[in-house]
Amino acid sequence: MEGHLTYSALPALIVALPLVASLLVRALGNRSEPLRDWYAIAVTAVTFLGAVALIPLVAEHHVIGCEIPLLLGGITFHVDSFGMFFALFTSFVWLCSTVYAGAYMQHEERRNRYFTYCLAVLGANMGVVLAGDLVSLYLFFEALGLLAYWLVVHTQTPEALKASTKYLWMTVIGGFALVAGIFIVFGIGSTGVIGPIPFAEEQTTLAWVAAGLMIVGFGVKAGIVPVHIWLPDAHPVAPSPASALLSGIMIKAGAYGIFRVVTALFRPPVMEEVAEELWHFTTQLGFVVIWIGIATMFIGVVLALLQENAKRMLAYHSVSQMGFIIAGIGAAGFLGAHGAMGYAGGLYHIVNHALFKACLFLGVGAVYFRTHELNMYKLGGLWKKMPLTFVFTLIAAFGITGVPLFNGFVSKTLIHHSLVECIEFAHEAAAPLWQIQSLSIAEKIFVVTCGGTAASFIKLIVFVFLGKPKQEFPGMKEAPARMLVAMGALAVPIAVLGLWPNLVLQGVVAPGLHTWGLHSAILDEFVLFTPANLQAVVVAFVLGTTIVVVGVRYGLFHAHFPAWFSVDYWYRRTARAFLAFCTAANRGYEAYMAVVSRLIVRTRRQLLRTGIRTQRSWKRLLVTLGTGAPGLRHQQFIDTAYVIIERESHATVRHAVDRALAVAEASSEMTPHEQELYVHAVRDSAAYMANRFVNERVGVVADLARTGRIEPLRVALEESMAKVVEFREPVAQIALAVATPRMRGENILRQLAREMNGLLSRERFDLLMREAVPSWKTAQAAARLGHSVEAAIPSEEVVSAFRAGGLTRLESAGSWISNTAIGLIEATVQERIPWMIEDRLDSRRVASTQLAIQRYVRDIGLNVGVAIAMLLVFVVMAAAGLL
Amino acid sequence: MSYSAILPAVVLLPMFGAGLVVPLSKVSNRARAMGITIVVGITTALVALLIPGVLNGEVYEQRLFQMTPTIWMSLRVDALGELFAITAGLLWLLALVFSFGYMADEERTNRYFAFLMLALTWTLGVALAGNLLSFLVFYELFSILTYPLVVHEQTPEAMAAGTKYIIYIIIGGGLVLLAIMGTYFLAGAQEFGGSAFLTAELDRTSLLAVFWCFIAGFGVKAALMPLHGWVPDAHPAAPAPFSAVLSGIMVAAGSFGILRVLFYVYGIELLKELGVAMPLSWIAAFTILAAAILAIPQDNLKRRLAYSTISQMGYVIFGASLLSVSSITGSLVHIANHAFMKGTLFFCAGILIKRAGIHNVSEMAGIAKRHPITMGVFTLTSLSMIGTPPLSGFTSKWYLGIGILDAEQPWYLVILLGGALLAAVYLLPIVYAAYFKEPAPIVRDLPEIEGRLEAPATMLGVVLVGAAITIILGIFAWAPGLPLSLAKLAAETLP
Repeated sequence: MEGHLTYSALPALIVALPLVASLLVRALGNRSEPLRDWYAIAVTAVTFLGAVALIPLVAEHHVIGCEIPLLLGGITFHVDSFGMFFALFTSFVWLCSTVYAGAYMQHEERRNRYFTYCLAVLGANMGVVLAGDLVSLYLFFEALGLLAYWLVVHTQTPEALKASTKYLWMTVIGGFALVAGIFIVFGIGSTGVIGPIPFAEEQTTLAWVAAGLMIVGFGVKAGIVPVHIWLPDAHPVAPSPASALLSGIMIKAGAYGIFRVVTALFRPPVMEEVAEELWHFTTQLGFVVIWIGIATMFIGVVLALLQENAKRMLAYHSVSQMGFIIAGIGAAGFLGAHGAMGYAGGLYHIVNHALFKACLFLGVGAVYFRTHELNMYKLGGLWKKMPLTFVFTLIAAFGITGVPLFNGFVSKTLIHHSLVECIEFAHEAAAPLWQIQSLSIAEKIFVVTCGGTAASFIKLIVFVFLGKPKQEFPGMKEAPARMLVAMGALAVPIAVLGLWPNLVLQGVVAPGLHTWGLHSAILDEFVLFTPANLQAVVVAFVLGTTIVVVGVRYGLFHAHFPAWFSVDYWYRRTARAFLAFCTAANRGYEAYMAVVSRLIVRTRRQLLRTGIRTQRSWKRLLVTLGTGAPGLRHQQFIDTAYVIIERESHATVRHAVDRALAVAEASSEMTPHEQELYVHAVRDSAAYMANRFVNERVGVVADLARTGRIEPLRVALEESMAKVVEFREPVAQIALAVATPRMRGENILRQLAREMNGLLSRERFDLLMREAVPSWKTAQAAARLGHSVEAAIPSEEVVSAFRAGGLTRLESAGSWISNTAIGLIEATVQERIPWMIEDRLDSRRVASTQLAIQRYVRDIGLNVGVAIAMLLVFVVMAAAGLL
Repeated sequence: MSYSAILPAVVLLPMFGAGLVVPLSKVSNRARAMGITIVVGITTALVALLIPGVLNGEVYEQRLFQMTPTIWMSLRVDALGELFAITAGLLWLLALVFSFGYMADEERTNRYFAFLMLALTWTLGVALAGNLLSFLVFYELFSILTYPLVVHEQTPEAMAAGTKYIIYIIIGGGLVLLAIMGTYFLAGAQEFGGSAFLTAELDRTSLLAVFWCFIAGFGVKAALMPLHGWVPDAHPAAPAPFSAVLSGIMVAAGSFGILRVLFYVYGIELLKELGVAMPLSWIAAFTILAAAILAIPQDNLKRRLAYSTISQMGYVIFGASLLSVSSITGSLVHIANHAFMKGTLFFCAGILIKRAGIHNVSEMAGIAKRHPITMGVFTLTSLSMIGTPPLSGFTSKWYLGIGILDAEQPWYLVILLGGALLAAVYLLPIVYAAYFKEPAPIVRDLPEIEGRLEAPATMLGVVLVGAAITIILGIFAWAPGLPLSLAKLAAETLP
């Protein structure tokens, strides 16, 4: 902001007073309710008086302000005519609302909280309109948004909670858009002062982004389409005095922001002569803003016509009326240096809307206070019972519909004029044809919207106050005095501003324009009551009446758009989809982490296992190197097997003895001595046979154990031992059979040996074991390979015949070497080549040689080798003189 | 008078305090509490005593002892170190006082307090280290000797989290060691504060390798994604006051290390020349958004806050990697602001755990009625975390935002504000539920609070002081002596 700044602490005090005062509300309210109400009224009144005291200061010095060292460097307050204007009506409407609230809030709960936040929000709101730089503006704007949450959520009904949540998110997102815009504004050369930004040509794109973000940021609060969705939900659910503030005042904080963005930030420097082309950016921005305004006003009014709930209808009208204001501001931007009419229209409508919308909400609130009914179609004929409320509401309705002699007429005419001027300006400036055409369309939509507004309020007045009562309300009477005073206080300026428009035009707009280096001459020439202007009103009302008649006749007011038609629906879906995405992302991440951790665990286990195996192999290697034995495990297994086999042998003998005892006891011929002898004889024979079995079995097991495959053998042994139990009985039978001859002193050894050989060939323990070893069954192919290899080598006869000639030394050495090599290979790979063992079993000679070589290789080769190596090392070390 | 002599005292005092724990506990718990609080108080006061001098641009140095012929253990305080040290000192004081209430019914309190005091020594050592090797020594001690604090409760979850923690930290520490060896190899022994250690004349490949080694090593501690794995597990497992320190200081120590590396080892010019700042900012940007997205569905309150820490620490690296003065200021001041904000949030979580047995967000519905002060502070700090003016979070966001524009990367605003918006998405529903939702069954069944206060006075006092700091750091952000002035000075006087 250019110009000379005169120091004054008043703006800061105006802002600080309600903020600080709000802290005391609870303490007072706990003591006495009326005291608290009057306290709130007094604070608001003092704030209003402070704003009034700004008038002479600003009139004299044009811009006043001060700085307080807070936050990042200091928060500043600057007041020019426009800011003062906002401060004035804000604090005035707030005062009326607070007076009204004193009476109205008696049927609400949480009154302390209401008045606390009511005052705090007032402070924040004054801060917004008096802030001197963008950081302070942002600070107060955010504070306003967040503190007002408590006014929206006040009743804490499910609808209020839903609406306030939506409100909160829109506020938060809007705040981010705003601060992003402010960042970019700083990035393109602003110092933070609310004044023209000297951005360079190549930063135009960034400037557009910044302007867009800031307009969206402020627009959320201002309820512009398509970010208006929270407004029709949030405004009606608040208590009526808060609704009046939300719709009448706080929404204007957004309008104030957009106003400053278009007319203060993105404009050429404030100088006497500014080249026309420097206004280019402002013009284009203005054009966009005009259309935002037009879209907002039209969509708002259409949706308003479809509402049943009176407060909701009013809220939609707030959207629509904000459209008028934004369109006016847009026109001010579009017209650039000649934008006085736009400024006037926009600003005038801002104060007008504040007055009549607040009054309407208070009026409808008074009706609700008495009837607890908000559905317009269920009310009626209230004018008799509530005449004053009716009159005030009617005045406000006259205001909003633009009836001559009331304030809305002035501002709507001004905005209409500015739109018409825009069309002319576009012609003169040789703007593209589409722009001119679109502006004339915009002007038409404006007229239609005025008709829609008229229709809405004809509906409201007719359905609520006129006609016959649809239902009886017991105890129905006029609203309490304080509420009437508040409404009256709002109704008076509605009329005053309609009659004396120059109060605003010459008192505020013209000086403000001068401060900003613009001309206001066009406002001096402005004539209000021309036939054309009056004709526009008539057109609007004819249109309005037609809409009402047609609408009621065909039930159009109860039509509903499908859900997907509203932007709200899509926002909601986006939000839900995003949350679903977050959940899915988390789940995916957790799953991924689970997989990774499982992998790690598995790898670790694998590593451990490998470690253990390596360790075991190493131990085996050491043992093999040190002792030459095939390994402890073999020996251990053989020992264990021996025990098992031995136990079986004992069992066999015991079985035979048991049978012998049975036979002896059954026999009546034998004397006890003979019986004893008999049992002894049986035991001897059985022991002999069992011993043969033991020898055979141990031999087989020991032989197999040399293959090194202990685990399968253990299984096989268990299975085989279970099978050989059947031989206990034959042994017993034979022993019994030979017992009598033996007792007679005959030599039974030959018979026993014969019988035993039969038994052994029946048993074939080696085959039993071999079958039981699982893997050897699958090694048939290997065995076949072994046989074929055997077939291929010369037969024994050939070799014997050859050997008959005797071996030369060389040949015997060669055979020794080859045998050694074979033995070596077998010793190292024997586990994997079972056929070699078979081969060995087939041919005793070869087997014995191999065994000899094996033992030789192990015992001599390795042990001695190691010993020699160590000896060598010793020798070398000794030679090197290390010892 | 020179304050240099204070430096060893600052570092050694808490160690002395750790030694006091056991003897004093023999006297009484009260004596122990008084003793170590006084020690930490004196330490913090000594650190604060250095602020005026540091703001005047003075640098205090003190050599401790010689480690090798060329390398000394040395302490040195500059604006950056002072910022970190005073933040650590104050948060420690808060955490300590909070612990008296929180640990009252816990076991093994001697171990807890002793290691907490030791950890302060290491932290101050990290903050005041005068060269890379001194830094490494304190950093490693700090990392490893906090293990008993992480696993304090010794539940299976705590033990698992501790294992995860120690594995991550040791691997990260190994990488840091590797990078520091690389630096000594390339540049020899140098003290912080002169020109940057490394220059563009050195071999480019080695410079890059050492740089990424540093980032990967410190990134584990600073919870840069995807190296953040230990953070969301360690926080819920640790006792709440230590979670506060863990989030506010420990994770920030990693970021602090990265800052030292970026600006004192490499220097802005070299970073620009190497072109490594841009990829680093992408990693940070990814961390900011991804961690925030993962925070949203978390039901465990402390886990959600832990993810928030990851996201917020991303801002620190993000601002630093943009290399403009404003963004670096924002990044530095965010270390301090975040420490107090997140600390306070964890303290609130601690009160809910101890006084209401509430661990999960879903159990917090309607808790505000029973714990109005706790939830009030929680709300305030949440708003600060989102970046609402005039609270401290706004200060950081503001400088980061301006820095983004200074660095001519306007698209990064999406990251900055996207992260803030996501912060709103993961914090505000908690507040909403606490105030407006029907009370959860667990809340309904809670017994009435005995006595006048919703929590012991020490715990409640700490929470309120945390809230006050959050407000003061926002409203009086400009005031000399507060973190912003230190951060500005540090950012302007980088080598």
